[in-house]
Amino acid sequence: MLTIGKLAGLAAVSADTLRYYEREGLIAPTTKSDGGYRLYGKDAIVRIRFIRQAQHCGFTLTEIRELLALRNRRAACCGDVRKLAVEKKLQLEGKIKAMKLMSHALDRLIADCTEEQHPVEECPILSALEQVDASARPD
Amino acid sequence: MKIELFYSPGCTQCAAARDGLKAAARQAVAEVDWRELNVLDEIDYAVELGILSLPAIAIDGELAFASLPTPRQLRTALTQRVQRKA
Repeated sequence: MLTIGKLAGLAAVSADTLRYYEREGLIAPTTKSDGGYRLYGKDAIVRIRFIRQAQHCGFTLTEIRELLALRNRRAACCGDVRKLAVEKKLQLEGKIKAMKLMSHALDRLIADCTEEQHPVEECPILSALEQVDASARPD
Repeated sequence: MKIELFYSPGCTQCAAARDGLKAAARQAVAEVDWRELNVLDEIDYAVELGILSLPAIAIDGELAFASLPTPRQLRTALTQRVQRKA
């Protein structure tokens, strides 16, 4: 059995992260010591690595909970996991598209600003942002 | 009318519902161009339509159902579109 500190060291995360995962229902101690300290089995290391890897792939903790549940559900199949992965890819591609649009908008603003020595009151970037803000403001 | 069903390969939910939905569409609209698109082959188009979950249905190039409708819901949506066009 591993204490929270030992597990944190082996899984390369902080003890606070483990407590947070526990509050989020992602991990749970196998038992508690006589002194009331959390004790974990060695399988917790694999579980935490799974959580970290899924986070790196962009999955939220809620989605990771779903992935972990699928992992333990006998009736689940690879297609169920694949569907979640495809949906995550769609979300990421949507974000990439939105960010590219933002980047192109910045390109236009940067191109408009050719006079670096002009006073800030005449800055076309700030001026354009003010106009965007004014048009977006509800009456 | 063009109906596009976006699916993830191996999705049992999609396969089970497909025939019922196709039949409902053909009942509601005389000329149906029914297409089934593997989202992985059409990822750019799916993103353009705003698809975030699967399976999803687009009608005439617009996302109509972000999750699988019942045949009745699809029939109603198609009938309403036909009435709006008339």
